[in-house]
Amino acid sequence: MGASFTIDPRSGVPIYVQLVEQVKRSVAIGALAAGERLPTVKQLAVDLTVNPNTVARAYRDLEREGVIATSPGRGSFVSADVPAARRAVADVSSASFEAAVREAKSIGLSRDDVAAIVGRLLERWYGTEASS
Amino acid sequence: MNPIEVQNLRKRYGTFEAVADLSLSVPAGSVCGLLGPNGAGKSSTFKCLIGLARPTGGTISIAGGPPRAAMFNDVAFVPERSALYDNLTVADHLTIARGSFPRYDERRAAKMLEIFSLDAKKRVRKLSKGQRAAVGLAIAFAMRPTIMILDEPASGLDPIHQRAVLDLIIEAAANGAAILFSSHNVGQVERAADRVAIVKNGRLVVDGELDDLREREKIVEAVFLATPDERRFAADARVRTVESRGNVLRLHTLRDTEALVGELERAGATSVTVQPQNLESLFFAAVEQPRPVTLEAD
Repeated sequence: MGASFTIDPRSGVPIYVQLVEQVKRSVAIGALAAGERLPTVKQLAVDLTVNPNTVARAYRDLEREGVIATSPGRGSFVSADVPAARRAVADVSSASFEAAVREAKSIGLSRDDVAAIVGRLLERWYGTEASS
Repeated sequence: MNPIEVQNLRKRYGTFEAVADLSLSVPAGSVCGLLGPNGAGKSSTFKCLIGLARPTGGTISIAGGPPRAAMFNDVAFVPERSALYDNLTVADHLTIARGSFPRYDERRAAKMLEIFSLDAKKRVRKLSKGQRAAVGLAIAFAMRPTIMILDEPASGLDPIHQRAVLDLIIEAAANGAAILFSSHNVGQVERAADRVAIVKNGRLVVDGELDDLREREKIVEAVFLATPDERRFAADARVRTVESRGNVLRLHTLRDTEALVGELERAGATSVTVQPQNLESLFFAAVEQPRPVTLEAD
């Protein structure tokens, strides 16, 4: 445990979207482990001071995407289904990539410019690979 | 039938139309924030809901029937200024409430005094404006109502107790209550509500689930090489407002933002950015008159 969520109601981003993204990120980085129990809708709503229906909507989305599973009477748990959790990881980073690429395009960078930036970043974070 | 259901409500005082045509519903477990400038019709709507005023037209259903005295076992109404007796203590007011409301919960009342930092022995006369408001709220939450109608519930409270009210509203909704509250504090609505109704001149101008509105309504900024033709977008039903400054066109979209981005790009925009919009900017866009389109003199 140790996953904690923060919501920014003023950002204009739907609150349920903020929650879905944060749960996915917590699963991705391992702050929420497979099989771990999530707070109840009511508990999380009270803790974050956000509307319970909004929390319920986030949980429904997470459940539909296979990130969490809810069993009646027992609560919601992080899915033990590894592929679903991996997809959640990919979702989190692809959303960040999309925002960055969109921004790059809107300020007028060409496809090659963007590819060059990504190439440099890959080199920095993954190291130089022996080109084959 | 939802706990609160208002259909085509009209309320006229003489020749003044306070509420022109207002429909809204609040399901169980839902919190609806009612926003609008002063005189928009919020208080008149509340008066009709609790049976203090007779509607000129339309229908109201609250707790399964028309407004009636017996509903106050389930319905808590907290006006902007609670009617309190200056010479009685806070504890006296709780005693009166205990005798009046069958669902009044003594342990919870004690907890409310603690939450609102109220001294039971103090006479109301000696209370500050915020503390008076807190007495009304403490009694309302102590009776565990299934429907709450709160007129400006946090006005006069300090930030700590304002937050306490939001926490109590959320807790009540999580336990299944239907809550309708008006506020001038957009931030409170933005946090606690799952639905929002914005009124202007007695009519709803925005109504719906808050997260749906956040998802649909965006600010789109498009940069062109030359002065763009804004008339084309001003007439578009998917656009709430259009502004242009030099080569930049700024649209407040109501829906179909992706499609509009494509159209702006095809119209020659060199850069298009989409920003989310918070409730405050949505509120101003909805309540202000649409800005007149300024055409460049040729």
